[in-house]
Amino acid sequence: MKTVHEINEKIRNGDAVVVTAEEMIDIVDELGAEKAAVEIDVVTTGTFGAMCSSGAFLNFGHSDPPIKMCKTYLNGVEAYSGIAAVDAYLGATQTNSDDDIDISYGGSHVLEDLVAGKEIELVAEGYTTDCYPRKKVETTITIDDLNQAILVNPRNCYQSYNGATNSTEEKIYTYMGALLPEFGNLNYSGAGQLNPLQNDFNKETKTYNTLGMGTRIFLGGAQGYIAGSGTQHSPNGGFGTLMVQGDLKEMSTKYLRGATIPKYGSTLYMGIGIPIPVLNAEIAKTCAIKDEDIAIPILDYGIPRRDKPELGVTNYKDARSGKVTIEVEIEGKKVDKCMRSASVSSYKVSREISKELKNWISNSEFMLTERLEPLKSAAPKPMKAKMKLVKDILSRPVVVGSLNTSITEASRVLIENNINHLPIVDENGKLSGIITSWDIAKAMAQDKHSISEIMTTYIVSATPDETIDMAARKMSRNNISGLPVVDSNNKVLGVVSAEDISKLIGRNGLHKI
Amino acid sequence: MKKRVFYWISGSNVREPVVSNVVLETGVMVNILKAKMEPREGFLILELTGDEGQIEKSIEILKKFGEVEDIPKIIQKDDEKCIDCGACVVHCPVGALSVDEEFKILLDEDECIGCKNCAKICPVNAIKIFEI
Repeated sequence: MKTVHEINEKIRNGDAVVVTAEEMIDIVDELGAEKAAVEIDVVTTGTFGAMCSSGAFLNFGHSDPPIKMCKTYLNGVEAYSGIAAVDAYLGATQTNSDDDIDISYGGSHVLEDLVAGKEIELVAEGYTTDCYPRKKVETTITIDDLNQAILVNPRNCYQSYNGATNSTEEKIYTYMGALLPEFGNLNYSGAGQLNPLQNDFNKETKTYNTLGMGTRIFLGGAQGYIAGSGTQHSPNGGFGTLMVQGDLKEMSTKYLRGATIPKYGSTLYMGIGIPIPVLNAEIAKTCAIKDEDIAIPILDYGIPRRDKPELGVTNYKDARSGKVTIEVEIEGKKVDKCMRSASVSSYKVSREISKELKNWISNSEFMLTERLEPLKSAAPKPMKAKMKLVKDILSRPVVVGSLNTSITEASRVLIENNINHLPIVDENGKLSGIITSWDIAKAMAQDKHSISEIMTTYIVSATPDETIDMAARKMSRNNISGLPVVDSNNKVLGVVSAEDISKLIGRNGLHKI
Repeated sequence: MKKRVFYWISGSNVREPVVSNVVLETGVMVNILKAKMEPREGFLILELTGDEGQIEKSIEILKKFGEVEDIPKIIQKDDEKCIDCGACVVHCPVGALSVDEEFKILLDEDECIGCKNCAKICPVNAIKIFEI
């Protein structure tokens, strides 16, 4: 019906009718898709969220005498410089090499400081060659001193994202933010009805109507481009991603912000907006997608596995209301759980981006491009990596004690079996406590005589299907040396100890796990 | 009305039950939001709730034993830094943080109890804390 060329003519003449994706919803409701496609030329979208997969190629220019940079640090954050003599790629999630600064200042903060025009300390080391005799360089630079600062983000602008909650009894810290215990909150991300990929996605063909490699976009406050499909691109599942690039020197800290997700690390908040040329009624209809039509699968991030259990589904409208209710199973009973929902991306800034892009086009400052190639269809594959489960290293047969066991007897059991942990069970074989050789030593010193006096009743336990990595982390976090392994009825199946894990790693070598 | 003050108490007076005196003599409600005692001095953040007369009198008594300084806020949100993501909202135990219709994050300083949960969660360090 219309072509990008025709729309560009209108933009050039200042005649193009541009609306944001939010405004398009009412227009299509009122006029219908056919008429809306005639009236409207361009729909603008926007999103502003944490996009970990971000970074920039920086070219520092040559020093005199020249150096071949091998280890490169910007404000103490390492940039990868195994590229050429004075090029480096600074990743947003790279943490500071100084332990005291730790994760609170990382690659994303350096990127923001560069964009803000601040002075950055550059330290680089190399090995000397006949043409690069310099060993080390220490100087300060600003973005103006760089020849190029090209933002290249391999995976940005997720079409959909999971909502994250936590079924466990402990607060956990994830890349989706802090998750309170027992379904205390549901954290979600994404601009929903303003999301660029949602507005351009054809649900039937699972492809994108207009965007693709070469599409000019709003990127961090400047004009950038889609370089192709992003890593882990998965349009079949509604999880498409983009690789984007743009000139960091033209960007603004309003739309590119360094951030630290507590106890996870640094990440970059990126502002991306994509114009969608309304070429026909089908595109007009897609651009009218609403928050309530976009699903958010709710996953249990309390289970640190690749495939996290899906507990339910909500949508952006409900998530934005601040409360989401799902049915969960607690101790075998189905109960409705009302969770407070929190966004970790900014709908306010997403809206500002869609409006700013709209202004650019209306003012003839931004011309649309025709894509060179559509995005490829793909589904990400998991990593082929072997995994050991707790049940694989469980000590057998199970040695347990009862509340009637005397301390002397318990110590004899530990010695005879050459173990350090003795789970104490009740008459039904259910876990009620644990004692260690240390508890027995303490009992001797304090002249205590009964198991119940010395056993630990607050027990951190493992399940047979947990990975040994999870078990190791539990022990390290709780500063303990063993975990009783229990089934779903709290019946003791065995013990996994720090020793078991260190044997596995120490003897066989990591590669054999 | 509610009034929050920094209270510095001098070393010679740290044994005085100053806060109790204030309550007994004026009937004002005192909420001790923070207390830090050093060998020769003490620092407190007090929240006084009562009518104007009660609060005035409370401050008079407090001043006999130390120094009173107004604090309008314990934490402050830097609107320039805030990206209005909303990650903080569910971590506020008293609902002082909220999202308005325009998806802007608001901090009601009167409701804030200074627990700092929001400051710990904020990805861009937009919450400033006034330490004592």
